[in-house]
Amino acid sequence: MQPVLEASGLAKRYGQLEAVRGIDFSVEPGEVFALIGPNGAGKTTTLRMVATILTPSAGELQVCGIDARKEPARVRERIAYLPEEAGVYKNLTGIAYLRFAAALFADDARERDAMVERGAEVSGLGERLRDKVGTYSKGMTRKLLLARAVMVRPDLAILDEPTSGLDVLNALEVRELVRGLAREGMAVLLSSHNMLEVEFLSDRVGIIANGRILASGTAEELKRAHGARNLEEVFARVATGGGAE
Amino acid sequence: MNRFVALLKKELAELVTVQALLPFVIVVIAFGGLGQLMSSVVPEREATVPVALVDRDGGAYAHAFAAALGQAGLKVVAVQPDEPQAAMRRAETLALVEIPKGFSAGIDAGQPQRVATWVKVRGFSFLGNEHGTRLLAAVESANAAVAAAVAQKHAPGTAPAVMQRPVVPEQHVIVGERSAQASVEQVLGFVTQQTTFIPVVLFIVIMFSSQMVASAVATEKESKTLETLLSCPVSRASIVSAKMLAAGLVALVGAAAYMLGMRQYMAGIEGGLRAGMEASAAPEAALQALGLRLDAADYVLLGLTLFAGILVALSIAVVLGAFAESARSAQALLTPLVVMMLVPYMLSLFLDLQALPGGVRTAVMAIPFTHVFLAGPALFMGDTRAVWFGIAYQAAWAVAFIAVAARVYASDRILTMRLGRRR
Ligand SMILES: Nc1ncnc2c1ncn2[C@@H]1O[C@H](COP(=O)(O)OP(=O)(O)OP(=O)(O)O)[C@@H](O)[C@H]1O
Ligand SMILES: [Mg+2]
Repeated sequence: MQPVLEASGLAKRYGQLEAVRGIDFSVEPGEVFALIGPNGAGKTTTLRMVATILTPSAGELQVCGIDARKEPARVRERIAYLPEEAGVYKNLTGIAYLRFAAALFADDARERDAMVERGAEVSGLGERLRDKVGTYSKGMTRKLLLARAVMVRPDLAILDEPTSGLDVLNALEVRELVRGLAREGMAVLLSSHNMLEVEFLSDRVGIIANGRILASGTAEELKRAHGARNLEEVFARVATGGGAE
Repeated sequence: MNRFVALLKKELAELVTVQALLPFVIVVIAFGGLGQLMSSVVPEREATVPVALVDRDGGAYAHAFAAALGQAGLKVVAVQPDEPQAAMRRAETLALVEIPKGFSAGIDAGQPQRVATWVKVRGFSFLGNEHGTRLLAAVESANAAVAAAVAQKHAPGTAPAVMQRPVVPEQHVIVGERSAQASVEQVLGFVTQQTTFIPVVLFIVIMFSSQMVASAVATEKESKTLETLLSCPVSRASIVSAKMLAAGLVALVGAAAYMLGMRQYMAGIEGGLRAGMEASAAPEAALQALGLRLDAADYVLLGLTLFAGILVALSIAVVLGAFAESARSAQALLTPLVVMMLVPYMLSLFLDLQALPGGVRTAVMAIPFTHVFLAGPALFMGDTRAVWFGIAYQAAWAVAFIAVAARVYASDRILTMRLGRRR
C-alpha cells in the first residue's frame, strides 16, 4: 500500500538557522505516527511543512502520492491541520465556525452539513456551540479546533500537541477519538510532550532533536533497543546523548 | 465560488460588529442633528434685523435713506443722538447707522456723504454675524434709493437707472469649449460647492477600507487563525480578495452613511446661508449650457475612479498588513499609504494640481490617489480623457500590488516575515 505521507531528506532553514536537517519518515494509512523531542527540536516546523504552510528548503515530500512542493493546493484537499497555537474567529459562534470551515472543504451543501454534524458531535460542546467562540475556555476552543480538523475526514490529520491545555478527562476522550478515527483508516501525524499519550496513541514514534530524527520505531522496539522501562527513559537517553550517535 | 462566498461571509462577520458600526451610526446621527440645528436657525434669520438709526440731518435725502433701509428688510429703530454703544444698548440692537449733520445739503452741493455704520460682533461665526452683512446690503440698496431721489430732483428728464448705473456688465464665461452668460464667481461657487464633499468622502472611504483590510490580516496573525486558514483548500488569491472585497463593501456602506449625514448637514447650512449665497448662485440654464451638470455617464466614471482608488489602497494595505503582527502595528504600517493619500488631498483642497510647477507636478501625478481627487474637476471641465487615464493608471498600480500580494501570501513569508526582527 502507498504511504499517506512520505518524507525524505526533508529540511528547513530560517535564514542561518537550520531548524530541520534532512529527515526521513513515512506514515501509512490508519497509522498514528508521533514526533517527540525537546523544545525547539523542529517538530512544529516539520508539521508545518507537511501542512503546506511552509515550503521545505530541501528534500522530498509526498502526501497521498502528490508532490507537496509542486502541488500544495491539491495536498490541502487531503489533509487537516491543527496548529500548536491556534485561535478561532471570536465573533463567530462555534457552530458558525464549523460551518465556515466545512464550506472550505465540502463540494456541496449536503457534504458540508454532514461535516458540521460530525464536528458538532466530536466537539462535545452541545448547546455552547451557539455561543460566540470568544466566550469559550481554552480547552473548549481546543476541542472545537480539533473537531474542525477531524470532521472533514482527511486522509492525513496533522495534530501539533493535540491535547495541550485539555483536562485529564477531555484529553482521554480526545485520545480515544483519534484512535478510533485511525482505526477507520485516517493517518495521523502528531507531536506531543506527553509520553503516556504517545505510548497509548501511536503506532510508531520518531524521536527528533536538533532537526534530526535520532530514532524511530514502535514504542516497544524503542524501549527494547535502549533497554528502557518506558518511553520517557528512551527520550531522555536519545535526546541527551543523541547528538553523538 | 462557494468557498469564496464562505470566506467573504466570515470576513464580513468579523468586520461587522457592534463596536465597528457604532462610529458610523454616531457620525450619521451627529451630522443629521447638526443639519437640523442649522436649518432651525433659518426662521430666526428670516425675521427683520433691528438696526438703530441716529439721524443728525433730518433732511429729505436722510428720510429717503431711512425708508429704503426699512424696505431692504431692516427694522429701523430711530434713536436720539448719543454715543454709538449707548444708543445701541438703548435700542436693543446689534447694529447702528448714523446719518451725519448736513447730509442732504452736502449731497445737493455735489459732495458724497459718509454714513457711519456700527456692527457689534457676536461670536466669530458667519451665521452669528449675519446682522452685519444684512446691514451692509441694505445700505447699498439705500444708496441706490438716494441716488434715485437726487436724479429726480436735479435731472428730472433722465431715467434714474441711467444716472445710477449707466454701464451694466454682461458677463460671459467660457468653460472648455462652451460658453454661457454667468460670472466667474458664480461658476466657481457652484463647482466648489459640488466638489468639496468629493475629496472628503474619498478620503474617508479609502482610509477606512485600507485600515480594515490591514487589521483583518493582522488580526488573523494575532489571534492565530492564519495558520489554520492557510492549510485549508482555498487559494491564497481568494483569501486575499475576500478580505479586500469585504473591507471595500463595508467602507462603501460607511461612505454612503457619511454622505447621507453630510447631505443633511449641508442642506441645513445651505438653508442657513441661502440669503448670502443667492446673489452668487449661477442660473440653472447657464450651468446646463456650460456642461457643469454631471450626467449619468459622468457618475459612472466617477464611480470607476473611486473603485480603482479603493482597489489600489486595498492592495497596498493587504501587502503592508502582511508585515504586521497585531492589529495595532498594522495601523502604524499604513503610514506610507496615509501619506500618499494626504498629499494630493491637502493639495487639492487649496490649489489646482494641474498648475503646480513641473517637477512637483510630475511627482504628485505619480501618486495614484491624485487621480481620484482630479476626477471631479476634470469631469466638470469635460475632460473625460484625463479621467480614463487616471482609471487606467490606478488599475496598473492595483494589478502590480495584487501581484505582490499574491506572491507574499503564497510564500511562507506571510508566517515568518516580521519587520525589525531579521535573523
Ligand atoms: N518563524 C521562525 N523564524 C525563525 N526561526 C524559527 C521560526 N519558527 C521556528 N524557528 C526556530 O526553529 C527551531 C525549531 O522550532 P520548532 O517550532 O519547530 O520547534 P518544536 O520542536 O516545535 O518545539 P516546541 O516543543 O517548543 O514546540 C527553533 O530553534 C526555533 O527557534
Ligand atoms: Mg512546537
